[in-house]
Amino acid sequence: MLQVKDSMAREVATLSPGDTAGEALALCRERRIRHLPVLDGGSLVGIVSDRDLRSATPAFGDSARAAALAEVRVGDVMVREVVTARPDDPIDAAANTMREKKINGLPVLEEGELVGILTSSDVMESLVYLLGAHEPGSRMEVVVPDRPGTLAGVAGLIGELGVNIVSVVTGPRLEGEPPSRVAVFRVDTINPAHAADVLEKADYTVLWPPRP
Amino acid sequence: MTGKAAIVHDTALESYGFGGEHPFNPLRLRLTLELCENMGLLEDYPLTPSEPATVRDLTTVHNLTYVRMVQEAGRGSALLSDLLNYGIGTGDNPVFPDMHAACARVVGGVLEACRVVMRGDAAHAMCISGGLHHALRSQASGFCVYNDAGVAIARLKEERPGIRIAYVDTDAHHGDGVQWMFFEDPDVLTVSMHESGRYLFPGTGEVHEKGSGEGVGYSVNVPLQPFTDDDSFISTFEAVVPEALRAFKPDLILSQNGCDAHKLDPLTHLSATTRLYEHVPAAIHDLAHELCGGRWVATGGGGYDIWRVVPRAWTALWAAVSHQELPEKLPEVWLEKWGAKSPVGLPRLMRDDPADYPAGPRAREISDRNKRTAEEVLEKVLPLIR
Repeated sequence: MLQVKDSMAREVATLSPGDTAGEALALCRERRIRHLPVLDGGSLVGIVSDRDLRSATPAFGDSARAAALAEVRVGDVMVREVVTARPDDPIDAAANTMREKKINGLPVLEEGELVGILTSSDVMESLVYLLGAHEPGSRMEVVVPDRPGTLAGVAGLIGELGVNIVSVVTGPRLEGEPPSRVAVFRVDTINPAHAADVLEKADYTVLWPPRP
Repeated sequence: MTGKAAIVHDTALESYGFGGEHPFNPLRLRLTLELCENMGLLEDYPLTPSEPATVRDLTTVHNLTYVRMVQEAGRGSALLSDLLNYGIGTGDNPVFPDMHAACARVVGGVLEACRVVMRGDAAHAMCISGGLHHALRSQASGFCVYNDAGVAIARLKEERPGIRIAYVDTDAHHGDGVQWMFFEDPDVLTVSMHESGRYLFPGTGEVHEKGSGEGVGYSVNVPLQPFTDDDSFISTFEAVVPEALRAFKPDLILSQNGCDAHKLDPLTHLSATTRLYEHVPAAIHDLAHELCGGRWVATGGGGYDIWRVVPRAWTALWAAVSHQELPEKLPEVWLEKWGAKSPVGLPRLMRDDPADYPAGPRAREISDRNKRTAEEVLEKVLPLIR
């Protein structure tokens, strides 16, 4: 839940610049989606939303509509400056980007290849877990076994160091057995590495900050 | 043209530290000064002494109640529950004896360095105990109790009305304390390059923090991706800093030269080497001569690999400040004395070997992202500077 790759859709419907507006709108309807990345030779060259397509074509009932749907090309109406995310971006960072740019869909690129798409509805679900990210402090991500008392154990060790916990959110970890959770702490210290050492000695796995 | 240089230091400045295993260890100052000395870089430069900052100096930017609290903490007469409200007595900023005096000395050192330069006694000055950029108006934060740069800037503004000061911070952490103190002030330009707050303390320093009110455009932030290397750090610096300073036309440049962006630093996740710590001072030196008659004051800052990184980085800083050639090798006498005490093997050369620091797997992507950040700063923030 905490990174883009955990929330994005991996099966992405895409278009080519040469596809028509009619084909694109049909795809939106069929898949019940609003954002379609445009690929040319495997590279992301644009993105188009159902709204872009509608505003580029005459309204329902207009006699010119059918012709326009067949004539207007995706390459002519798509947005070329595409804002993207990476699979390992924190979900809150992606949400902030979408808010700032006033967009609702972020294609996800890994080494230049389209591997998913994250939409605002994907983010909404994750966001409720990530309140408080703008409080000053350092970010720590700790894997906690999914058992009673383990979060308290981690928090207690941090507290014993005289370090204040500014906020904490947790989400299920989608890998590894037995089931575990990732707890994201915002801690009021410049030196979370020290807390990370203490936690690792107590057999917790610390995902951030990175350990040497 | 170059001018005379001053180094402000005395051993009393080495009493600012939190003791024990705390990562902020003033031994790093001793290691640096002895390295400079053993290399002969201090031969023509007697140490300039300084007085502690007064309460009057400190309250230019700090709340008087806070200063009183620090004084009481150092005397052992304050309640921990009261101190915690001021960020004192935490794991980061534990109480130590006479902490007010030690902290006020650091501020006094930087203030003296600024005055030496503004009086024209020296073109450039360095005070490596300074650089405590996280200290807030009423709160200790991130190992910083009093904000030396903040006090020095505010005091100079009183002493020399109309002065324009550019503060350039290349510590791996955002220079938040200094930024907030002058967030609405168009006569103080703060430029901070740092690891993105999404991954590193204090969490601030996004591009959109660009000042407020009259000061819009005068807080410049360049958040860098984790694992940023020399190439990308330097090209981002070159894209932003000279243009920002040229637009601003300062009368004095005050630089915070924290060296915790080095790959070996245990507190951060950047991947710089000693190359960065030669480049940045050289670039600031040239800008000082181009823009403000050479007036440049350099401070230290973060730097937590105190054996392998700090002494070399800040010796390189001093070499730039004092226009001396940086020797290639560390002197045997220094290596012998400190090698016995160091828990890690000491480097024998002043410059890191690039072969020991190969590009990371995502170097290209990181560099592209930093480039985009620089473009955003150039587009959205720098045009606001008048």
